[in-house]
Amino acid sequence: MRRRTFLLGAATLPLLHGCDLRPPGFGVSVLRPGMREGHLLRDAAALPAPSGELRCAVAILGSGVAGLSAAWRLAREGGRDVLLIDGPEPDGNAAASLLGGLACPRGAHYLPLPGPQAMHVRDILADLGILHGDPRARLPEYDEQALVHPAAERTLHQGRWHEGLVPQDTPDSAAAARRFNDAMAAFAARTGDDGRPAFTLPLAACSADTSLRALDRQNFAGWLDRAGHTDPSLRRYIDYAMRDDYGAPPEAVSAWAGIHYFTCRNGEAANAEAGAVLTWPQGLSALTCGLRSRLGDTRRLDGFAASITEQRDGVTVIVVQDALRCLTVRADHVICAMPLFAARRISPGLAERLPATALPTAAPWLVANVLLDGFPHERPGADLAWDNVIHGSRGLGYVVATHQLTRVARPAATVFTTYQAGWANPASARHWLAQAGDDDLLALALGDLDAAYEPRWRARIRAVELTLRAHAMAVPAPGFLGAPARQLREPAGRVLYAHADLSGLSLFEEASWWGDQAAREVLGRN
Amino acid sequence: MPPQSRPAPDLHDAATPGTDNGDAPAHRTLIVAVFVVASCGLAYELIAGALASYLLGESVLRFSTIIGTYLFAMGVGSHLSRYVDERALLARFIDIELMVGLLGGLSACTLFLIYAWAGAPFRVSLYAVVLLIGVLVGMEIPLVMRLLHQRKQAFEALVSRVLTFDYLGALAVSLLFPLVFAPLLGLARTAVVFGLLNAGIGLWLAQRYRSELPQARALMMRGWIVLAVLLAALVWAQKLTDQAEGSLYGDTVVYRETTPFQRIVLTRFQDDTRLYLNGNLQFSTRDEHRYHEALVHPALAALPRARRVLILGGGDGFAAREVLKYPQIEQVTLIELDPAMTRLFRDQDGLAALNAYSLRDPRVRTINADAAQWLESAADPAWDLIIADFPDPSHYALGKLYAVPMYRLMQHHLAAGGLIVVQSTSPWYAPRAFWCVDATLREAGLHTAPYHVQVPSFGDWGYVIAGREAGFRPPTGFPPGLRHASAETVHEMFVFPPDMQAPAVEPNRLNTQMLVRYFEEDWSRQSR
Repeated sequence: MRRRTFLLGAATLPLLHGCDLRPPGFGVSVLRPGMREGHLLRDAAALPAPSGELRCAVAILGSGVAGLSAAWRLAREGGRDVLLIDGPEPDGNAAASLLGGLACPRGAHYLPLPGPQAMHVRDILADLGILHGDPRARLPEYDEQALVHPAAERTLHQGRWHEGLVPQDTPDSAAAARRFNDAMAAFAARTGDDGRPAFTLPLAACSADTSLRALDRQNFAGWLDRAGHTDPSLRRYIDYAMRDDYGAPPEAVSAWAGIHYFTCRNGEAANAEAGAVLTWPQGLSALTCGLRSRLGDTRRLDGFAASITEQRDGVTVIVVQDALRCLTVRADHVICAMPLFAARRISPGLAERLPATALPTAAPWLVANVLLDGFPHERPGADLAWDNVIHGSRGLGYVVATHQLTRVARPAATVFTTYQAGWANPASARHWLAQAGDDDLLALALGDLDAAYEPRWRARIRAVELTLRAHAMAVPAPGFLGAPARQLREPAGRVLYAHADLSGLSLFEEASWWGDQAAREVLGRN
Repeated sequence: MPPQSRPAPDLHDAATPGTDNGDAPAHRTLIVAVFVVASCGLAYELIAGALASYLLGESVLRFSTIIGTYLFAMGVGSHLSRYVDERALLARFIDIELMVGLLGGLSACTLFLIYAWAGAPFRVSLYAVVLLIGVLVGMEIPLVMRLLHQRKQAFEALVSRVLTFDYLGALAVSLLFPLVFAPLLGLARTAVVFGLLNAGIGLWLAQRYRSELPQARALMMRGWIVLAVLLAALVWAQKLTDQAEGSLYGDTVVYRETTPFQRIVLTRFQDDTRLYLNGNLQFSTRDEHRYHEALVHPALAALPRARRVLILGGGDGFAAREVLKYPQIEQVTLIELDPAMTRLFRDQDGLAALNAYSLRDPRVRTINADAAQWLESAADPAWDLIIADFPDPSHYALGKLYAVPMYRLMQHHLAAGGLIVVQSTSPWYAPRAFWCVDATLREAGLHTAPYHVQVPSFGDWGYVIAGREAGFRPPTGFPPGLRHASAETVHEMFVFPPDMQAPAVEPNRLNTQMLVRYFEEDWSRQSR
């Protein structure tokens, strides 16, 4: 700004104080990844005749975390002739955006340090240079650029920001938080009668001890009530955690899954405190893009699978590239790395094995990336953190995309990413989100920011990008451990399934686990 | 407004000369005008002198040249007053009052702005304004005398009375200005207040004698406009010379600007100029040479083959000034975030003189960018010396500039045999913070040589030199013209006495930010 302009501005400022000089308009774009493709398949639209045929040893359908983990493992272990078909949204829930030159997540944005059972994740992190040295070390060293920098978390409670996610404003709630943490620590230390850890990641490594699995028969809210964890402040935090990771309130979540959330993050590091998490400005897209860069001679194909037909000697997949062009892909094996509801739609074989009622409940997400030309004025208390939560809000707070940058001054622009998830009734929420206008979506997406800042904060908005994920994640409802989808974990035939839906927990570790497993199965067969 | 019934003064039926009974009100009006006019005249002179010595220093020189110029200009005005037509004396006098009010009233504001406007010829403007006001003020007293003379005042009585009130007015202002007006209102608003008095007198006279003024309405209109402008300036001048901030810094604030990045405030007290960024002292011209000589010379004098130097921060150009003392230096790249800083210290003569015009040197390339961001993508050839003159690690965002990845990044841009020097806060007040910087540089795989120097306005201040090779030896030869650094003093800088030995500290990592904790804890212990 030229000094003359400044002086002129300073002179006229008192006159204009209180007026909002900026036009209220800013660009709003709404993305609905997979919706067009999904509805095309749902409505059984006529497809053009395939205009060509591709052959490959392994076709991977979908390039989210599961598909990319499978492709990465195949490339690493010498799998040959692999074709990766991107699917409707490359990177899936780990996709990222570039807004005003700033990378920001369109979905998942962090990864807890992988524990001793999550070697498949450590292998990936080591290959990407994020884990230094031996991935099997008891305390691996991680790239400090990716470890969350302080201040990590804060919560807005009674008009003031507090450090951390659990406001302990009264002795009662502090004691309640301690008691809850102690209870969770006891669960975390437990081992089942089969000698396996009670709660860990991946789910496949957890104990099958029936006394622990009994927790899956009740909902988490009921369990908390019976265990006496009823402090309102604590419960608001738990409510937030369930909606954040499981897309549903504690009433709709299995008690086993609820306890799992608080006990599975058992990763440690030589250079970080226990419970640390890894994050990047672009969220988990840092990992999916890293995986993509290490796929060797894996071929890639734009488009999405519209049908899967398994034959005795191979699998035929029809791939839609655009409205006018279809391809036939003939593969020896297919790794079906897409959500089960989509897989069921295009695979008659799967539809027979898995009734529609056996699918996990899918919860929707609304992710908003808000580009700001400066940081809004903060309320008193703790400084802006990476993750900022409004205590008791229906929203899931917001993360700051520029938090991990090293800069002399605050950047001139930043992106705040807000998350909405965890509606009590996912189906009606999905319906509402599908028909809501931009203004309604915006009001919902910006709710937490409106609560966090004075009204004038909106004058800083330059653009908003809304990503609507209608079937974002499986909800681990009571009974999810015994859900019929688990039968798909056992490889049968030439189509192998790889998706977090097989676990019923929408986590990087789970998606990556099933991708890894499918790849190993294919490698074992050849 | 006087009652309509009151007869208008008539020059011809005025009382007998020598007595002032009959037309006392008329004379009193003019005598009061003399008193006010004299007060204002001296006030502008004092304001200009004070402003010049605040902004430019050397107060004896400033005051005497301002007074000289002013008196000379008054002489010119006196002379010019002869050419004022006898028939339009009163109207011209009122016009002059309005002009003096406007010019004098806005003088301090205008000069502040010109000074703030980096690159504007402040000195020329200052003396031009003084000259102009002086000429106008110089015309006042002769015109009043002629006016009174017209009104048949006896000359002897007239001269003595006018001069009595002239000097009384001067006395009043010379006492009120330093004791009441300047401390209470600040220079800018004091000037406006006196401008209002001048214009008020003009307007009052126009009202009082409106019947004998052919263009009374036009005169009054001009008067009201001037009054309105000055009143607006009074409100605005308050912003310019915000008293709260002035008292916050202790010394007189001579420049302030809020940029998108920070609040820049320059203060001046006698010959000491100080720069504050967001309220934190950056330098005092009394001892900044100690800080900057210690920042540059121990490292650069040890690098006789150095050609290229990178300065991260340091928009005041002082570090560059020291670097340019080495004739072999071919390029200095200075990365300063705030364009306002480099503009101020390059284009503003008084400030550029402080850094020996280093930012105007063709060897110095100034880039306004975030140094951390710039370094991430810099494709320049490697540097022989990298000077990291970042703000103290007082919060997490700044702490990242002192973490292992930043030092690895610097190392990546370092030429073979090159050195890094990092300003590292005070090893006396914040020992754990200082030694944490040292530990962090070592954690980044560098060999270090910590040292410190006494900077009176900061206290004992520390730096760390780091390089890929071990065995740094403090240099013994230095360029000529240094005020503090010498073989002896530099040798002494690398000595840490027993009460300043390194405590056990952890290196500063991005995810733990130990440095910020050490810094906060150490300094808060000091301020207890």
